[in-house]
This record gives sequence, structure tokens and C-alpha cells, in this order.
Amino acid sequence: MKLWHSFIKELKLSSRGFYFYIELVMAIILLVVVLLVIPAEFVSKDTEYLYFDLPEEMINEYRKDILEEDLDGKAEFIKIKSGKDLFPVEFYETDKKKYYFVEDETAAIQLAETERPLVSAVMSLDDASSIHYKYYLQGYESERLKNLYLVIHNRDLNLLKEEMDNQVVRSLSTGYSELTDRENVLPVLLTFNGSLMGLFIIAAYIFLDKQEGIIKAYAVTASSVWQYLMSKVGIILVTSTLASFIIVIPVMGLQPNYPLMLLLLITSGFFASSLGLVVASFYKNMMQAFSAVYLLMIVMILPNIAYFISSWEPIWIKVIPTYPLIQGFKETILVNGDTSYTLMVSLGFLVVGLLLFLIANKRYKKTLAV
Amino acid sequence: MIEVSNLYHSYNKDGKFAVKDVSFEVKEGEIFGFLGPSGAGKSTTQNILTGLLQLQQGNVIVAGYDVKAISNKMFNKIGMSFEQSNVYSKMSAKENLDFYRKLFDVKTREPEELLELVGLGDKANVRAGEFSKGMKHRLTFARSMINNPLLWFLDEPTTGLDPAIASEIKDIIKAENKKGVTVFLTTHNMYIADDLCDRVAFIVDAEIKLIDSPKNLKLQYGDKLVEIEYIKDGETLKETLSTIQEDDLKHLQDIIGKYEVQTMHTKEATLEEIFIKVTGRGLA
Repeated sequence: MKLWHSFIKELKLSSRGFYFYIELVMAIILLVVVLLVIPAEFVSKDTEYLYFDLPEEMINEYRKDILEEDLDGKAEFIKIKSGKDLFPVEFYETDKKKYYFVEDETAAIQLAETERPLVSAVMSLDDASSIHYKYYLQGYESERLKNLYLVIHNRDLNLLKEEMDNQVVRSLSTGYSELTDRENVLPVLLTFNGSLMGLFIIAAYIFLDKQEGIIKAYAVTASSVWQYLMSKVGIILVTSTLASFIIVIPVMGLQPNYPLMLLLLITSGFFASSLGLVVASFYKNMMQAFSAVYLLMIVMILPNIAYFISSWEPIWIKVIPTYPLIQGFKETILVNGDTSYTLMVSLGFLVVGLLLFLIANKRYKKTLAV
Repeated sequence: MIEVSNLYHSYNKDGKFAVKDVSFEVKEGEIFGFLGPSGAGKSTTQNILTGLLQLQQGNVIVAGYDVKAISNKMFNKIGMSFEQSNVYSKMSAKENLDFYRKLFDVKTREPEELLELVGLGDKANVRAGEFSKGMKHRLTFARSMINNPLLWFLDEPTTGLDPAIASEIKDIIKAENKKGVTVFLTTHNMYIADDLCDRVAFIVDAEIKLIDSPKNLKLQYGDKLVEIEYIKDGETLKETLSTIQEDDLKHLQDIIGKYEVQTMHTKEATLEEIFIKVTGRGLA
């Protein structure tokens, strides 16, 4: 009952304060951004800068092929600014790509550096009158992509197709579904606005209480310190759940597995707020704690990059708790999401959260009068 | 009600003690004053007694509970009024007391009654954030009585209060003490200690220098003087004479016999003067 009374008191206090509404207002802003700014599907056209060091007849053949797919059926002669230089180019645009024919190799190299296109290449004839391809890459391309460039120009494409057709492909799962680009953003928002915001906000709540000396007053009652801390965690869980549902329900409707999502929100929120409690126990005010909280948030954000750029996924990033958390949330919104994965992730956050909470409880008992 | 023996505490555990070899007892129903200047070790001792600081060395029994293995039940028996007001500023005075009364397992007092007692009856529904410093202090004081404590820790209970309110607070303390409540009063205000305490301890530089009743201290350390005002040859004269020294006694008898005495009264040493005499330190 004391825990319940403390929770109700915290609910009253937070509803009269600033931080409670930050999270909800943020959720509404994010919802507006998701619905109005992020398209259901991103349509981005790949760009290629090409220099043909070839006889005019051969170039015309390329022009002819591209013009067949060109949206307005004609080339545009424009100039591209790169640094202080202006490069004249022939421009073609199809449904999927933008082609820029440049006038020399120097332009291809410079535009590869400044514009960072998907492809910047030079085609020329070698001694045997075969077409020679030279690619200017960005440096982060995977070995697989480099090998692919080598293969497509050095092997018979029909042979490659035949090889691919002959490969036996067994589907491990046939009932999978895909998310739209808009829906694909939700796991990240749930992770950061839903779960991790608790880390920052619980620290703010603790420092407000420290400033007012409330912890000392609570400590000389017949209630336990853990009840005081848990009541704060409870508020974080309520606000993060509300904020998450504000974003998810209008975007996803009834598709997500809401009970599973709630479980992951609660366990991950418990983990994040317990971590926030431990961090706050080492500092006297928010200013002092800010660098530690900020550093933690930065580390937690890194798996976000791996989520959106699938070619960048170093092994160490999988150790950061937000990595499984993002994936766990994704499984809750997929039609046939992996329930057991989300359950395992939830269990992990619950166990680590409990350990952190025990550490926090011990620390606050020791540092009440400090 | 309180037993403390050989208490030591070092914040940095570096051999520099905030409290050093402190021993004392507080009897049931007593008002015990813990007096000393800032930084002497008063708050450290009180924080250990109330569990806010962990006991490092020594033995402490509070309200029958060993502070080494502190139990939540102990807090049902004690009340604590802090020097720095610490109430929820976003809650009203009544909401503050309503919340705290739910954190005890014993019969509690009605918030309205307590607010009336400390002169905040008409401010029950006003948020504490809108209170003056003195009003917040009174609310903190009222909260410390919510669980009908048997042992009451008061840290500078009249700090920041105007004389009339301070006098009311002293009356409340006296009234509660009459009901049998034991009071542990921490202060550097010798007047309130003199007025309220059955016994006082002087603590300086982490050590207790002396424990006794104010009356005994005055008898033991106060100068026994008489201040006399009389008319001699049409002129009013004033002298302070010892009641122990023979010359002064003879002179006093002469004055009484020969001249018209206007006023005469014994001059008692103040607790503050005794403190300075015993410890060699002021209270600032």
C-alpha cells in the first residue's frame, strides 16, 4: 500500500510538473512527423556519373538505350557545381536512376568525391578493344560489392543468371511480412522516446527531490527506499507507455502485438530507469550528471545506425542494449513477428533491470544524507 | 530512549573524524539539547541516530532499535524536523501531510489539527511552493508530529521564525514533552536550549566536552554576582559585587546599611557564556 500511495503521489507531482508533458508532447510531435513528413515508402533515385572515353558511335548506343527509358525522352544539358568548379553534363532521368554524362575523367573523380553518388565510372577501350570499366568508390563499400563489380564485367551475364537459377533456395519462413518505410521507423522511436527517455527523466526527478531534500524526509518514515525509487520507476513506465501508444496506434492500427509490445516497453523502461537511478546516485545535480547521461545516450543511439544501414553492423554493436531492443520492437509490429525473440529480450531487460535496481537501492540507502 | 557509546564517523574514511568517541544517553521523557557551533558534529550525530548516515563505528540504540541493523519499524516511533524545510512544493500543505501519514504503520494525527497547531490552518489548501520560508519550516515541523512520535528529533526548530511564532513552537515542544515525548534537540541557539532542555551536551570539534543540566552548569560555572544600584551623596551609583569574595561581601553589607538601595539582583551566567568558558569557542 505504501508503494501505491507513493506512486499516486508521484503521479500528482509529475502531472503538475514539466517533464511529464515533455514526453507526451514529444510523442505528438513525432506522430505528426511520422504521418506528415515521412513517406510510406522512400523513393530515392540512384545517381551515376559516367565518363565515356569511347568512340562517338559507342556513346550514341548508350545514349539511345538510356533515352528509351528517359522520362521526357531527351537529354538536358546542364552544369553541376562542385566546389568552385562548374562541370557541363548531359543529364538523363529514368524511373529509377539519374545519369550524368561528364566530359572527362577529372570531372568523374571530383564529382565522386563531392557528390558521393552510387556510381562514378569511366569506360574506355583497352588494347584488345574491349570495354574497360574503372569505378571510383567511396571507401566504405563492402568486399561483396567490389567482387560484384568485378564479376559482372568479367563473366558472361547469361552464365551468371543460369548459375543463380540453378541454386536451390529454401525459405526458412514463408509467412513473413515487410514493413513500409514509415512503419520501419517506429521501432527506433519506441526505443528512444519510449524506453530510453526514462533514463534521462528519472534522473531529472531524482535531482528535483535532492534539491528539495525530499529523499531525507522520505527516509525517516516507515517506508523503504526501494518503494520510493519504484514509485518513480512506475511513473516513467506510465508516461513511456502512453507516449509509445500515442505514436504507434495511429500509424499501425490493430496490426501490432500490443500485449507483447507493452511487456517490452515495461521491461526495457524498467531497465532504462534503473540505469538512470544508478547514474543519478553518483551526482548531486543534473549539471554534474549531464555528461554521463549524455554519453550513455550517445552509446545507446549507435545501434540506430546499424538498423538503417544494414551494411554497417560490427559485432560489438550487438552488445549495446538498444540493438536487441530495436529488433524486439520490430518483432512486435510485424504481422508474424518472432514472439519468442521479444520474450527473450524482455526477460533480459527484466533481469538486468532488477540488478541495476538493487544496486541503486543500495546506493541511495548509503547516500541519503549526502 | 537513546544510548550512544564510542561513536566515530569519518566521511572520507581518512582518519579525520566528524564525530569522535561520542557517548551519551537520553532518558525517556527528557528534552536533551545537543549544542555546538556549525561543523561541530551535531548533524552527523543526528543523521546517524536517524539512519540517514550509516553507522561506521560504535554502538547506537534508538527507541529500542539497534541502528546497526536499522528497521523500518523504528521510524514509527520517531519524528524528525529538519533544519532545512523539505516539503513537496507542488503539493498543498494538507496534501503533504496526507501523503506522509500513509507511510507509517501507527495511528497518525489529522493534518488539519497539526496545521492549526502550527498556525497554518487557513493555508491547508495552498501549495507549499507559495509559502514563505518560515511557513515551510512550520509545515516541516508539523509533519514531524504526524505519527505521534515517542522520540522527537528537532534540528534548529525555531530557525527563521519570528519571535512570536518561535515562542508558539517552543510551547508546542513543551506540551508534547509533557505528554511523555522524548526530545533530542540540535541547536546552536543557547536561549532556546536554556528554556527547553533538561540536560545539554556541548559538542565541539567532533567531541562532547560536557553533559549536564543547564541549572547545574550555571551553578558550577556561573559567577555568583550581585548587581546593586544605590544613591550616595545624591548621586546614583551601580556596582557588581561577588557574593563569594569577603571584601565584596563586606562592601555589599556597608552599602545596604548606609545608603538607599534602588535595585539589587543576582546576575546569572548565560548558557552561551558557560559554553565559551568550557570549550573556549564561540557558537557562530
